[in-house]
Amino acid sequence: MIKAVMVMNTQGKPRLTKFYEFLVRKRQTQFSLFFFLPCLIRAENVSNFMEADSIFGPDSRLVYKHYATLYFVFVFDSSENELAMLDLIQVFVETLDKCFRNVCELDIVFNYSKLHTILDEIIFGGQVLETSSAEVMKVVEEISRQESASNSIGLVTKTVSGWRNR
Amino acid sequence: MALSGMRGLSVFISDVRNCQNKEQERLRVDKELGNVRTRFKNEKGLSPYEKKKYVWKMLYIYMLGYDVDFGHMEAVSLISAPKYPEKQVGYIVTACLLNENHDFLRLAINTVRNDIIGRNETFQCLALTLVGNIGGREFAESLAADVQKLLISSSCRPLVRKKAALCLLRLYRKNPDVVNVDGWADRMAQLLDERDLGVLTSSMSLLVALVSNNHEAYWSCLPKCVKTLERLARNQDIPQEYTYYGIPSPWLQVKTMRALQYFPTVEDPNTRRSLFEVLQRILMGTDVVKNVNKNNASHAVLFEALALVMHLDAEKEMMSQCVALLGKFIAVREPNIRYLGLENMTRMLMVTDVQDIIKRHQAQIITSLKDPDISIRRRALDLLYGMCDVSNAKDIVEELLQYLSSADFAMREELSLKAAILAEKFAPDLSWYVDVILQLIDKAGDFVSDDIWFRVVQFVTNNEDLQSYAAAKAREYLNKPAIHETMVKVSAYILGEYGHLLARRPGYSPKELFTIIHEKHPTVSTSTIPILLSSYAKILMHTQPPEPELQNQIWTIFNKYESCIDVEIQQRAAEYFALSRKGASLMDILAEMPKFPERQSALIRKAEDAEVDTAEQSAIKLRAQQQMSTALVVTDQRPPNGMPAQPSIGPLSLVKVPSETVDSQNPGDQGLTHPNGVVYKEDPQPPSQDIIGDLLGTLSIEGPPGAVAQSPQSATYEAEGAPSAADAAALVPVGEESGSVQPIGNINERFYALCLKDSGVLYEDPNIQIGIKAEWRAHQGRLVLFLGNKNTASLGSVQALILPPTHLKMELSLVPETIPPRAQVQCPLEVMNLRPSRDVAVLDFSYKFGPTMVNVKLRLPAVLNKFLQPITVSPEEFFPQWRSLSGPPLKLQEVVRGVRPLPLPEMANLFNTYRLTVCPGLDPNPNNLVASTTFYSETTRAMLCLVSSQLFIESSTL
Repeated sequence: MIKAVMVMNTQGKPRLTKFYEFLVRKRQTQFSLFFFLPCLIRAENVSNFMEADSIFGPDSRLVYKHYATLYFVFVFDSSENELAMLDLIQVFVETLDKCFRNVCELDIVFNYSKLHTILDEIIFGGQVLETSSAEVMKVVEEISRQESASNSIGLVTKTVSGWRNR
Repeated sequence: MALSGMRGLSVFISDVRNCQNKEQERLRVDKELGNVRTRFKNEKGLSPYEKKKYVWKMLYIYMLGYDVDFGHMEAVSLISAPKYPEKQVGYIVTACLLNENHDFLRLAINTVRNDIIGRNETFQCLALTLVGNIGGREFAESLAADVQKLLISSSCRPLVRKKAALCLLRLYRKNPDVVNVDGWADRMAQLLDERDLGVLTSSMSLLVALVSNNHEAYWSCLPKCVKTLERLARNQDIPQEYTYYGIPSPWLQVKTMRALQYFPTVEDPNTRRSLFEVLQRILMGTDVVKNVNKNNASHAVLFEALALVMHLDAEKEMMSQCVALLGKFIAVREPNIRYLGLENMTRMLMVTDVQDIIKRHQAQIITSLKDPDISIRRRALDLLYGMCDVSNAKDIVEELLQYLSSADFAMREELSLKAAILAEKFAPDLSWYVDVILQLIDKAGDFVSDDIWFRVVQFVTNNEDLQSYAAAKAREYLNKPAIHETMVKVSAYILGEYGHLLARRPGYSPKELFTIIHEKHPTVSTSTIPILLSSYAKILMHTQPPEPELQNQIWTIFNKYESCIDVEIQQRAAEYFALSRKGASLMDILAEMPKFPERQSALIRKAEDAEVDTAEQSAIKLRAQQQMSTALVVTDQRPPNGMPAQPSIGPLSLVKVPSETVDSQNPGDQGLTHPNGVVYKEDPQPPSQDIIGDLLGTLSIEGPPGAVAQSPQSATYEAEGAPSAADAAALVPVGEESGSVQPIGNINERFYALCLKDSGVLYEDPNIQIGIKAEWRAHQGRLVLFLGNKNTASLGSVQALILPPTHLKMELSLVPETIPPRAQVQCPLEVMNLRPSRDVAVLDFSYKFGPTMVNVKLRLPAVLNKFLQPITVSPEEFFPQWRSLSGPPLKLQEVVRGVRPLPLPEMANLFNTYRLTVCPGLDPNPNNLVASTTFYSETTRAMLCLVSSQLFIESSTL
């Protein structure tokens, strides 16, 4: 079972967190603190796995993937295959990429509700729900249509988010 | 999306982003929380749009790590909004903010249910997602049936059904007592025929949850899993969107293999063959390629295949292939694969007997200890720890010590603990152990817990041979300019106790010892000073006649500490001062410390506890449990020595011959008159495990001595003139005091387990462990008894006497009278089977530990089935042979009634463990089991035995 999904930037700012096990959430604040120190100093050619028992309790595994300014982190238990979890991060990111056309951190900051929608189509209650990013996109587009039917304003455009760039 | 157009929210997010530090961020967040709180208070004026906006803000703040303890009601109330955007926000935020025990969720149950049974698919999906994330007991009670309906409904789109599958999984996992899955096996099997890979993936997860709880009900799903796996592995008919970097849905492949790992075995030969073909293809066909994602995906599948092979205990051939692959992996460039290679090797240690093959990779594993990646280094450490045994302990522990000085701080504590445990467990000699621990303290004093140095002191105290060696070593370390405080403690203690043993050597005079210890005095903390004071007192005591100069120096120190604020120090100083003035009487009071009572090492106990803590129901561990429990069942149920437990022995009791007399009169007779022992059994009901015990018993031609109540081994005692011990536990304590030495584990269970396998522990108590390893060839056997002294003191008056029954010829080689501390001696024992019998040989073993004399009588597992050799018989041979045997005593038949059912595959397995070859397909009736074997004894030579077991339902026989 997947216990938590986290997206954060290289400075340790959370961009998305979702906990499938309630107890895990309590450790979150501690987590941001602990995780980032080792992560930042880690060399490039190391594995994507980290010890997580001390942070998330026994039988926790952690896999992360680094994309530009973001870290994508999955925490799960021994009932999941480590490399398959790594693949799932890739599916998540590829879906985001399709959705936002070259996703960047800003898209994620200002559209975090959309991230939730996408994540809910990939992971469901801690289990892998859908692994085809094409399928996920279909659903997400359908939801967008539903929304715009009752709400005429569309996505925050790149220009708007660009305007917010500091 | 929902967030878009909410300008207030965007502004808030960029404000938070622009905060320079955590403090500013907190202020901004507090301000916003205050704002939201006031708006919620005057709820009347809130439009749905505003409500939605504020709820999103709450979620954002929550995500940042702040507590949001209000507004839950508003989030929940949005669930019942009629329009999609508000409803969606309500569902998403509720699922994130609330947990399953939250009271407010009750308010939403009705709405959620209406959405689930309603017609709107998007609403159904939202509702299912909420239940799947935080659905608790009440949700399970009111919704499980509806969710089940959705899952199997043909009118639902895959989109809804796959969510229903996982939703059901969640409800079932959380409340297995509420969600009724009786009769789901058929439905599950149907679901596995699903063409849509999304639904199939979810269904497979559901299957994993169901089989992990009870695999018996889901045998019908097994072939379907294998089919699915075949379809994926051969890439047959897999839609493009489910192909990930050229690999057909790696997740589904992985899940399918997980599901298969919950079945104890694959019985059907065809299914098994197909499965192994697929596994072989995966194992052989995976290469390391350039594309990282493709690599990850293909190896995800590969590692799962490895796990499955380990589980299925394939032919040794495949197993060594797996180890070879893993050996390759731990040396590749790709760090993820190195990591998993090491981890899987560690797992492999747990499940199979491949230690020796793994040892070949020891050098590479040691290299991994220096990997740039800490995760990999940790895995390497775990693996080294797991694979360590007597043969390689020295190398491994020395590597660990060497690595200690360069290891990360985060790892040092674990590393030193592991090194200490290994050194203690597998020390080839005790001086090496002392060396290791002292080095450990020297190199990583900060990370060495007190337990470690207590333990080394205990060893030294209990072993006289070690004392002067340890004292010399301690003295060496004290020469170093800067040493860790723990080292000061150990050295001061050891030199105080045993420094006088070396007094003749240059540099070891009391005065010199005192000076060198006292040099460290200014650097130590209050916890060490009491130890120093004791050492000084002891040194002073050993200086006879007293040297006035030394005496004055030490008295000055005692005087100084007499007014110390620390009670312990003050007390010692005052007492030692007073005592040291008493002259000769000092000798008794400050004499050497007595030996420590033997106890389990605190370190090892700690390590064991830690293992228990992390115990988790992973497939492998579950399997280990299953194995253990079936072993227990088999042995537990088997009555001692194959004695039938049921009072109704049937026709069999008629042919039993009292063995003792007949045997001694005409020993050759048995073999001549009974060339073939045949048992014919008719089971009115499917048999229970008990039967095998009986079966084994009845296989022998002669019976135990007439009276059923008397157990055969007590007969042996009588035959040998030993007191007739009715104690079935086979433990006969001699004298009262030996009652204090209790065996560890159940002796009976150990014996029964050994009847089925050829190596294991026969007996264990706090002082000694007796292991056994056996090889059998025809009517001869060679056993080796491993007598291992677990103590740090030697065991004396060791005596081992074999009390063989008349049908066995046994010769035990010389057993040494003493077993040195922590040593293991091997005593070969030759066995020859003269004729068939069910009697059991007994080992009368005794030793002396301190004043305690311990005597145990142990049954030796040289039992009848050890002299069997499986043989396959063709139908042309079997039935003519079978028919040629007319009746008792050549052909025995027994009907066992009223026994618990045992599935046929397990029955067949049991037969095989007793070295009876089951000949499948020989008997056209699938309910019948036919088996054959050869029995060897000196008088009978090879003797063919045929067994047929038939199951009848009670009604048909009546």
